Amino acid sequence: MAQQPQHTKTKRYGMVIDLDKCTGCGACMVACYAENNVPFRQDDSDKMRSLNWIRVMKVDNGKAFPDTEVCYIPMPCMQCDGQHMQGHSPCVSVCPAVATDYDYPTGIVSQIYTRCFGCRYCMAACPYHARKFNWWDPKWPADMEKYLNPDVSARMRGVVEKCSFCYHRYQKARDKAYVEGRDELHEDEYQTACTQACPTNAITFGDLYNPEHAVHSLSRSKNAFRLLERLNTNPKVYYLSSKSWVRRVADNYLEGENPEQVAKARKAAATH
Amino acid sequence: MTTPAIPEGVKRCSTRQFTLWLAVVGAVLLWGVYAMFLIWYKGLNQTGMNDAYGFALWIWADLAVIALGGGAFFSGFLTYIIGKKELKSIINYAVIIGFICYSSALLILALDIGQPLRGWFIFWHANVHSMLTEVAFCLSCYFAVLTIEFIPLVLENPKLDRIPFLHHLSHNMHEVMAVFAATGVFLSFFHQGSLGGVAGVLYGRPFAFREGLLIWPWTFFLFTWSAAAVGPCFTMLVTWLTEKITQKKLVRPEAFELLAKISGWMLLTYMIAKIADTWYWAAVTAPARGFSLMEFYSNNPIYGIWILIAELVICGIVPALILITPKWRENKNLLVTAAILAVLGVCINRWVMVLQVMAAPLLPFQDWYMYMPTWQEVATTILPVAYGAILISLAYRYLPVFPHEKELNPGQ
Amino acid sequence: MKIDRRCFLSLVIGGAVGTTLTPVPWKLTDDIAIWTQNWSWTPEPEDGPSKFVKSVCTQCSGGCGIIARTIGNRAIKIEGQPDHPVNNGSLCPKAISATQHLYGPSRIQGPMKRAGERGQGKWEKISWDEAISTVTEKLAELRTRGKPHSVACISDTDRNSVAYLLDRFLRAYGSPNFIRTPSSADAQELALYLSFGRQGTIGYDFKQSDFILSFGCALMDGCDAAGQMMSAFGDMDKKTRLVQIEARLSDTAAKASQWVAAKPGTETDLALGLGHVMVRDGLYDKAFIDSHGFAFEDREDEAGNAYPGYRSLVRDYSPEKVAKTTGLPEKTIESLARAFARARRPVAVTGFSNPAAASVNQALAVFALNALAGNFQKPGGVFVIDEPDYLSWTEMKIDKTASAGNQQARIDGAGTKRFAHTRYLPNRLPEAINSSQGDSPVQALLVAGGNPLYTLADPQSAKKAFEKIPFIVSFSTFMDETAEQADLLLPHPHFLECYQDVPTPAGMAKTVISLARPVVKPVYDTRHTGDVIIETAKNLGGFIENAFPWKNHEDFLKKTLSDQWETLEKQGYWTDDSSRDNSLEKLFRTSSQRFEFLPRAGFETQGSENPKSKVQTVSLPGDVNELPLVLVPYSTIRISGGAVANTPFMTKTVDANVIAQQDVFVEINPETASEYGLSQGDKATLKTPAGNAKVRVNLFEGIMPGLVAMPAGLGRTGFSDYIAGKGVNVYGLIAPAADPASGLNAAWGARAAIGKA
Ligand SMILES: Nc1nc2c(c(=O)[nH]1)N[C@H]1C(S)=C(S)[C@@H](COP(=O)(O)OP(=O)(O)OC[C@H]3O[C@@H](n4cnc5c(=O)[nH]c(N)nc54)[C@H](O)[C@@H]3O)O[C@H]1N2
Ligand SMILES: Nc1nc2c(c(=O)[nH]1)N[C@H]1C(S)=C(S)[C@@H](COP(=O)(O)OP(=O)(O)OC[C@H]3O[C@@H](n4cnc5c(=O)[nH]c(N)nc54)[C@H](O)[C@@H]3O)O[C@H]1N2
Ligand code: SF4
Ligand code: SF4
Ligand code: SF4
Ligand code: SF4
Ligand code: SF4
Ligand SMILES: [Mo]
Repeated sequence: MAQQPQHTKTKRYGMVIDLDKCTGCGACMVACYAENNVPFRQDDSDKMRSLNWIRVMKVDNGKAFPDTEVCYIPMPCMQCDGQHMQGHSPCVSVCPAVATDYDYPTGIVSQIYTRCFGCRYCMAACPYHARKFNWWDPKWPADMEKYLNPDVSARMRGVVEKCSFCYHRYQKARDKAYVEGRDELHEDEYQTACTQACPTNAITFGDLYNPEHAVHSLSRSKNAFRLLERLNTNPKVYYLSSKSWVRRVADNYLEGENPEQVAKARKAAATH
Repeated sequence: MTTPAIPEGVKRCSTRQFTLWLAVVGAVLLWGVYAMFLIWYKGLNQTGMNDAYGFALWIWADLAVIALGGGAFFSGFLTYIIGKKELKSIINYAVIIGFICYSSALLILALDIGQPLRGWFIFWHANVHSMLTEVAFCLSCYFAVLTIEFIPLVLENPKLDRIPFLHHLSHNMHEVMAVFAATGVFLSFFHQGSLGGVAGVLYGRPFAFREGLLIWPWTFFLFTWSAAAVGPCFTMLVTWLTEKITQKKLVRPEAFELLAKISGWMLLTYMIAKIADTWYWAAVTAPARGFSLMEFYSNNPIYGIWILIAELVICGIVPALILITPKWRENKNLLVTAAILAVLGVCINRWVMVLQVMAAPLLPFQDWYMYMPTWQEVATTILPVAYGAILISLAYRYLPVFPHEKELNPGQ
Repeated sequence: MKIDRRCFLSLVIGGAVGTTLTPVPWKLTDDIAIWTQNWSWTPEPEDGPSKFVKSVCTQCSGGCGIIARTIGNRAIKIEGQPDHPVNNGSLCPKAISATQHLYGPSRIQGPMKRAGERGQGKWEKISWDEAISTVTEKLAELRTRGKPHSVACISDTDRNSVAYLLDRFLRAYGSPNFIRTPSSADAQELALYLSFGRQGTIGYDFKQSDFILSFGCALMDGCDAAGQMMSAFGDMDKKTRLVQIEARLSDTAAKASQWVAAKPGTETDLALGLGHVMVRDGLYDKAFIDSHGFAFEDREDEAGNAYPGYRSLVRDYSPEKVAKTTGLPEKTIESLARAFARARRPVAVTGFSNPAAASVNQALAVFALNALAGNFQKPGGVFVIDEPDYLSWTEMKIDKTASAGNQQARIDGAGTKRFAHTRYLPNRLPEAINSSQGDSPVQALLVAGGNPLYTLADPQSAKKAFEKIPFIVSFSTFMDETAEQADLLLPHPHFLECYQDVPTPAGMAKTVISLARPVVKPVYDTRHTGDVIIETAKNLGGFIENAFPWKNHEDFLKKTLSDQWETLEKQGYWTDDSSRDNSLEKLFRTSSQRFEFLPRAGFETQGSENPKSKVQTVSLPGDVNELPLVLVPYSTIRISGGAVANTPFMTKTVDANVIAQQDVFVEINPETASEYGLSQGDKATLKTPAGNAKVRVNLFEGIMPGLVAMPAGLGRTGFSDYIAGKGVNVYGLIAPAADPASGLNAAWGARAAIGKA
């Protein structure tokens, strides 16, 4: 991991989601729709064509009744740093028109709807299916346009969209800090809509580089892991779970491999 | 007396028969055009694609058609740069087939993007790191080259040739053709490669991802190589088909013989490289990411290990062996069989590198993603075939495509 | 003309460069691209000054504090109010997406009267004056005919100001028929009354408890107190043990430290079995029982009749026996009882569950466990919250017609000798109407806040009954299933548009009153139901008019909440800690002044039989051979079964193996599915004594073999195209079954058969 000097302006915003606390309520999804003007359809049951910036997956341990266990895994955009943490995110590097980009000061992977021309190469590149295509023109029936958030532009048919870590909230917080003559944002000044909405506080958000932010230590805890870590996508979304089977379904393992061992080997490799 | 539209000394079917044929193919074309209109007007919801299948039938068709169109650049390379005179007999046709393939590819791309009117952003806001940018640039440049290569042939139509300006234009273009051919070969080498790179760089997709050389994944080289190997097979196949339909000999046997031989050796070496690549991927690349080979070929309704065997052995090694063996390739039936197999092989390869990549689950709790094209997609994919048939018919009828046609069909 | 190479090249290059140098192609392409970025049909939300308004969500009885973000007169976003004592900022998805209902196509946009046949969907817009005078005339006419008691009112609550005004109106007018729609709270409140002698709600101190034993409560599955429960769970120490007793691996069970998969309908047996072990091993709070328990030991009354106590009652519930009924291993029952008894601050919880499980005996059996643990009015335990007293009756005089009407028996049979302590029996209403000879006993029905044609068990017979009612008024905000069948629509504003008081929600361990307030100006031509009642009363004149000395609902609220109004306006809620008083002296207001394990009030109404006979569980009708499976409803927080339908956003979050297009999936264990030749996604026909339904199957290891589980909240016809027409209403497949102790509907499921379609 690249060593990052503290007290620089470079942030690495990230998320830690405690799966032991997530009840699968879907509040994060709904909060995200409302915050980010995500459209909906009369029949949104085709999940492969449904716009969701965060999806809550239900997984089980594969055991028969009554030894079954289930766990919910909320999946926003993982805001991948890519190999060597240089913004070589799987999706950013492939976009031919720079319609999605890596923001070095925050580590947030952006998406510019008005630049995107809908080639969907980024979707093919993203192993988390975090990217969603606007298959239809968005529609808000009756007077529903009235609830649209002016901080986030509505998207048009034919472009890709995805979780932005509520970047507009970052901009607002940053502008406010600037007006007040501050360089640094407080931890609670910039929180994403899903973090704020999560009724069990399963989601924690903050600067992974900043030791004063909760995510800093949470992401380093014993139970922390990321999804598909072996692909070297280097996500900034971490998960916590006390259950080993959950950790096992978070990545791929060959027969005879175990997650702890692989994680240890990776850590060792990283320090060299 | 008016100048005939049909080149001198060759015989063509009656205008009636020709019109009838055009009408039939034209109907298919119109069906495709209607689907195309629907897609542009209503958007990509008219397709069977979804968020897991961002790339589907069209991208496969694109890759396949470009690989097959590779006959143009590789024959050009052999004719103009290596100086294989035997190929003069077929080079015009190779260029036309290439032109059809590449124009079709561009049309499909224009259909495939969600915002066709912003398509030019790929040039204006180009991201030099993206394989697709490289594809777009090289593809359009090479298409321009093919157009330039095609124009003088069009200008050789007896009627057009009568116009002095066009006559001189054609003459001048012929003179600089080698330069264009060389440029074309260079461009082609890159975009065939970058098309391979499109899948190979996807390090989030262990099924597609390949290590490589500097910034180029192995698929970059494999795609170029396979296009060079199989493109000529496709040219031969189309030529053979044209001969069957027109019931004429159009190309000198030496041309076939040489192309087949070169194709065979290209294919064989390609297969060796491809097998080595597959082995390394299965033994090193994928396992490092927690995947075993068979995970990619089980628990789903279509993608079984058969597809790997079909691609590598039946449509790879077998045609290669036929083509490199003089006795076998001299047998026209065997030669055509080998060409068909080779073409199928490269199509399977492109299919696998697009659709199976999208289908394979990444997280252990995901299922295989399945996809079914809609009629609109099928129609727009068939559209280029109809368009190609029409263009070939027109070219064959009105242009001196085959310089040796007269000599090969003395009775007519 | 001869063209040489140079000429040719300069021509080509020059031409190309020349064209590109003119601005035409560039300008054109650019314009076209810009056009694609500003399609007129892609809205551009207007910006403006942003405000945050504190209020409370009234979409269920959960009472969660919200903060609404507005821009100008637009409500943009609902967030949780972090300092609200009920939910500490936590909300369920329904509140977060409330703006979709506010501005959505489900809204009734103004007063209307029926233009075509009932249910035809043809409406004529009318003025509020006409609407209110239509109601007044009808009511006046019934009164002159001496039939004021034939007016009934259905509401989804009896605890806020609108319910108070409605009830007061009926009494001043002369009808005893105020009816509250069924609620999971019904059995709890009745059990509380019987064993504590108090009318109110039960609070559980989840945050401080270290062992929570939940009898099928949908704590995390969208119960009445979803915001509160999820907030509590979020704050819970990971060492706190949550044990969920339920046959299906619900989201609550998934989050529990232990999932105890008992057969459905056997919770009462299990509670008594746990009691057996605790009593047998002496693992109970003897001091509490000695000083505050009643009917723990056998007893005799003044007349010398002998009654068995709790101790002898549970003797029959040995782990061995309970293991057979519940399907649990004996070991589990033993260890569960010991773990509960040994915990420092254990609490056993019931309610927050399907009203179908409205068995008073189950509630009493669970209360008994808390009594054994001696955890009343203690941190981590059980607290009793009285009914809100801010709406206390002000003096009111009524005339003779009214008092004669009020003397009549209630149409639903509640409060009669048989169900003396049950306040409302909405599920008996259809039966009462359908079985009456001649005219319907209900001549006019006011539906204010409930949606009985969807939420009553067996909605088909409810619909038949409604057809016999000549005059139906709906005050609904939305075009729900009941409004669709009404004659007159008097739409109430959306909760983001008006004032509404919200009393302490169930589960809260202290008194909290919250105030919903207008976040935006009314979007449509709606009027507060409270205003309509007051105006109607004024129109009727006389004693009725005098009973309503308020200008309007807001005036009433301000006056009745005068002490708390300022606080409510400022912080949105008002709390009172007196209910946390830990003295037990005045807690019990039963005739014994003690906690009654086997309440006297309970069986006095039914004679002095052996109370053991009263621990009955509702058994399901139907032939086991023909209908070998059992259908149970389940709730999911992403679909709304009750108050206010789910929003389009909520439906959007539902997985593709719950709803796909029009189809609902039932969950079934793979083992059971294979017995019937069913595989994942298959279409199937589900049959129960109440009807048939087309469904699809979702194989789920987390459900007990032999069960079929279907989500509640689907199969709607009302609201809008975004909500209606998906799946089937599970309660249409479950015929009601009366709890022998209370008359409440306690059908917890239905016998069922399933086969490939
Ligand atoms: N999202 C959402 N929230 C809501 C509502 C909604 O519809 N949707 N409705 C609101 C209203 S009005 C109410 S009253 C509440 C209702 O919500 P709850 O009162 O909590 O009732 P349900 O969630 O229907 O059922 C509770 C649980 O009981 C289980 N169950 C079913 N049968 C049995 C049985 O026989 N025994 C046991 N032990 N468990 C059983 C089910 O699996 C389910 O998990 O929720 C409120 N909140
Ligand atoms: N099918 C089915 N039946 C059920 C249940 C279920 O889950 N599914 N659950 C059971 C339970 S737990 C309960 S509590 C009952 C609930 O039964 P009901 O009390 O009938 O509950 P809702 O369906 O919530 O009806 C509330 C209706 O009031 C309208 N409304 C909303 N807000 C307002 C308002 O501010 N003013 C007025 N005037 N009207 C308003 C809405 O149109 C909504 O349809 O149903 C029970 N029956
Ligand atoms: S999760 Fe997908 S979209 Fe997000 S940064 Fe990673 S690759 Fe890109
Ligand atoms: S779809 Fe848009 S964002 Fe994605 S790669 Fe293409 S242009 Fe870039
Ligand atoms: S961070 Fe913001 S954009 Fe991303 S999922 Fe959460 S709410 Fe949506
Ligand atoms: S809001 Fe929180 S608890 Fe609910 S699904 Fe999202 S992460 Fe899980
Ligand atoms: S639980 Fe009830 S009160 Fe709380 S937010 Fe949800 S609907 Fe509103
Ligand atoms: Mo309820």
